[in-house]
Amino acid sequence: MSETPRDLVQLQQWMQAVIMHPDGVAGGIESSAAKSHIDISVDDIEQVITRSQALNSIERLEVYGNAYFARLVEVLRDEFPAVQHAIGEEAFNGFAFGYLQAYPSRSYTLADLSLNFSQYLRETRPPADADESGPDWIEFLIDLAVLERTYSEVFSGAGPEGGDHLKPGELQEIPPERWADATLVPTPCLRLMRFGFPVHEYATAVRKGKDPHPPDPQETNLVIGRRDFIVRRQAVFNVEFELLSAIAEGLALGDAIERVLERTDVEFETLAAEIGKWFKTWAAAQFFRAVEVSEPEGERGR
Amino acid sequence: MLEPRLGHPNIGLGLGLRTVHYQHILRHEPKVDWFEIISENYMDTGGRPRYVLEQIAERYPIVMHGVSMSIGSTDPVNFDYLRKLKQLAKAVGALWVSDHICWTGVASLNAHDLLPLPYNEATLKHVIERVRIVQDVLERPLVLENPSSYVTFADSTMPESEFVNRLATETGCGLLLDVNNVYVSSVNHDFDPAEFIESVPHKNVVQFHLAGHTNLGTHCIDTHDGHVIDPVWELYRLAHRLTGGVSTLLEWDAKIPEFPVVHAEVLKAKQYINAETESTVDVVETEAPKPGFYEREADEATTTTVPHPAAYVVAEVE
Repeated sequence: MSETPRDLVQLQQWMQAVIMHPDGVAGGIESSAAKSHIDISVDDIEQVITRSQALNSIERLEVYGNAYFARLVEVLRDEFPAVQHAIGEEAFNGFAFGYLQAYPSRSYTLADLSLNFSQYLRETRPPADADESGPDWIEFLIDLAVLERTYSEVFSGAGPEGGDHLKPGELQEIPPERWADATLVPTPCLRLMRFGFPVHEYATAVRKGKDPHPPDPQETNLVIGRRDFIVRRQAVFNVEFELLSAIAEGLALGDAIERVLERTDVEFETLAAEIGKWFKTWAAAQFFRAVEVSEPEGERGR
Repeated sequence: MLEPRLGHPNIGLGLGLRTVHYQHILRHEPKVDWFEIISENYMDTGGRPRYVLEQIAERYPIVMHGVSMSIGSTDPVNFDYLRKLKQLAKAVGALWVSDHICWTGVASLNAHDLLPLPYNEATLKHVIERVRIVQDVLERPLVLENPSSYVTFADSTMPESEFVNRLATETGCGLLLDVNNVYVSSVNHDFDPAEFIESVPHKNVVQFHLAGHTNLGTHCIDTHDGHVIDPVWELYRLAHRLTGGVSTLLEWDAKIPEFPVVHAEVLKAKQYINAETESTVDVVETEAPKPGFYEREADEATTTTVPHPAAYVVAEVE
């Protein structure tokens, strides 16, 4: 027992540096980060951590050191089963271990732990080989990580349940002359995402306990939402995706359609024929929370 | 004069609410006296867990138990966290709000572990100040749990039981006496668990925790992955007698079995509550750990036995 207790700030900074050190607690004790708070070596550890009858001080600290990485890697494995399946458990553990060092948790909730995981994969990817003609499998892994993180966010965020979504009949109530000025308000969980691979099919297969092979590259437009508290995803063709994107950005329906006609090669007649069907699908999928129609000029202020 | 349990009712035998049991609880409405939730799993979610909780809160008393308050940290108090905690407590009508006598990180980091404190005057003063701040914000007494721990500090100048006693006495906070944690720490730090239980201020004890742990031969890990062992039940008998009985909760957080198994485990407490309490108190095991009935030794194939104070909720995807 020391005569004058160390400052609690120093002690906590030291212990955190020790148990979070990637080389284990012995490496942590000898690290400059730990020594900047309490300058002791492994041999002198009993000046800080006392031993028990059965374990020495290092062995006792290792309970915390081992648990720190093991626990959080397990959380990441739970959240990214498809990424893990694609690269194998050992490689995944290595990525997760590196990620936790680069982006240690700064949140009170484990739900935020993986916030930067896909970004970490991108930051640490080896440079693409210009001579390589095959699929970019690292890009596939990053796409998978982005998708699985999105699933978590959509699952735990605000959703359309409890009646907070647009009903199919509400669209039909808009007078035809006001329809072009109407805007649809997306539910907060709606995500529109483009991937270079059909990652959703791969991720679903893994979650169903199958053993899928990595798919060939294929541009994939995914609409991800939630209904009855379950995350739903559907792949859509480019024109529908463009229209959904324009609407989700807040464009009025008339402007959204105009933008789709500019950006794609779809004909107006073709688009007009599809739109009614899409609206029914979107309403059933609960992509939108409400429809807003601005008041005509002459009626404002009444 | 201090009321027993700080005036809180004894609401009986409860269980930790876990996602794998949602469907069973909603469908069968089992005769559980109350549920305890991990606060952080419900604070920022608009998804199924929160929806289920609201339904369960309509049918059962709810108590909140957190793992991230970090009451002993030297980082600034996280008022945003406290605000969310308070909102949740109001929304679900939580009878009380608990956390642990520990710290979870400094320098804005979170180890997501319940890290131990050195027990000395300076730490006590620091934690007392923070408990008072938290109680002011929450506008209710905080209830604090003795954690399982695996190290002791050369800078400690008092036993954990004295620290807990003085903290409760000076702040008026409640205590969540985790009987399994007393046992685990007593093995790890070579102290008498019965003495610990005898020395805490019994009128401040609002709640008990029971759980299983893993005995590694040289030390125990608080894994919450199995049945409560006999020596812990004996400590529970002692704690029950000394406090006059308080709300009791079973935690089961890993390798979680079907709901009836977990429910049956907490109902075992009845035999210790109802039985004669005099005869076995003095035979509480205080020697080096010997794996006993239900106590699990770490599987040799398992490289790391890990406590999981916080649970991650996995997304449901079509």
